[in-house]
Amino acid sequence: MNEKTKSKSPALSIALMSILTAVVVVFTIFPRIPTPIHGYINLSDVIITFSAFLFGPWVAAVAGGLGTGIADIIGGFPQWAVFSFLIHGLQGLLIALIARAGLKKGVPGDAKIYMQILGGVVGMVVMTGGYYLVGGFLYGFKPALVEIPLNLLQSGVGVVLGIVVSKGVLKAYPPVRSLAL
Amino acid sequence: MNTNTFIAGRGLLYWFDARAKLLTVLLFSVMVFFPSQVVMLAILMALIFIVAWRAVTFKQALKPLRTLLFILVVMALFIPLNRRDGVALLVIKSYVIITKEGLNQFLTLALRLLIVTYLCTLYIWTTPMADINLSFRWYGLSYKVALTITLAFRFIPFIGETFTMIRDSHSLRSAHGESEGEKFHIKDLVPTVTSALVFALKTIPHLATTLEHRGFGSGLKRSDYKVLEAKGGLFIHFLLSAIILLTTFVLLNSI
Repeated sequence: MNEKTKSKSPALSIALMSILTAVVVVFTIFPRIPTPIHGYINLSDVIITFSAFLFGPWVAAVAGGLGTGIADIIGGFPQWAVFSFLIHGLQGLLIALIARAGLKKGVPGDAKIYMQILGGVVGMVVMTGGYYLVGGFLYGFKPALVEIPLNLLQSGVGVVLGIVVSKGVLKAYPPVRSLAL
Repeated sequence: MNTNTFIAGRGLLYWFDARAKLLTVLLFSVMVFFPSQVVMLAILMALIFIVAWRAVTFKQALKPLRTLLFILVVMALFIPLNRRDGVALLVIKSYVIITKEGLNQFLTLALRLLIVTYLCTLYIWTTPMADINLSFRWYGLSYKVALTITLAFRFIPFIGETFTMIRDSHSLRSAHGESEGEKFHIKDLVPTVTSALVFALKTIPHLATTLEHRGFGSGLKRSDYKVLEAKGGLFIHFLLSAIILLTTFVLLNSI
């Protein structure tokens, strides 16, 4: 494919969103990291944060929302699919918008990483708060408190690993810059 | 990695059109959040479980219940904290553990959660994924989003297999010696995730080129390879949907 036309190609945007959606599904279902309270956290937030940093708000919103929604359907939690779509979609959108603000001209070099961290923290709040609200609506606000530490841990790990993995991927596969929309 | 959630079977749920069924599931789920008596919700849940049992096996019908067991236990443990007022049902050393109102609140929330879970699960068990995608298209989902979902489903098993291979390679390099099953080694996390991501990202230009060769983005009319067909006519299916919803509404408000 022609390098110059890549950024404007609708085929590229569909391909990018499809593959990242599939990656989010795989990383939501497959790698389960055990936690001390006999639960598991998944790596969906890592890919959402990674997509937000490298590919911008729309790709992160679509891949994060669709990916986690499909993972809920496949994984046996279809009642959560709509909520996951909205929560993780918004999470990806906001992380990318805040992180991109740090890339504007005139912003000092150090501010870039701070904006990425700020974006990640906002993403953590959106994800944890979103699931708490939905959980509270579905099974009561007090029982829903139980999920807050695990969701904070999952999204926190997602932000840290998202930043590390973004840098790793940029080093290992520099052409990834040309895929950004 | 298996992405198929459809369970082959026969019966009304399989005959029911995917579009009408989707509308029924959505409105039904909203309806159970209207104020209603616990007894009615329990009757409704029992009916839904019987329908699930008839559609699939008894063992399979119990699966959604198992996934909710943890949160149901947590909800039950929170009863004493939720409602302390009202008629005391269980008192230990002058401490009110369960009140009638607290129990009522727990049962209402638990039954709502169970009903919504069973409805959504039954929908994906009795409807092929392609039909679900086409149903969303029928309700106005754009061609691009539907194509994104379809392509994602095509690549999930491929990326899943790749991830497993990369993870296993890293485990072998680490040579832990003892079998630790499917558990993920924390120290292998970053290299495994990075490798799997690079592999997945490398497929993007190829997929984009394939789509362009297929004519995607040319502005010409797109083709659909499959259309949903409602046996007996779509009107009959939406009529059945309306009857189910109306009956449920009457049942929930009958006391």
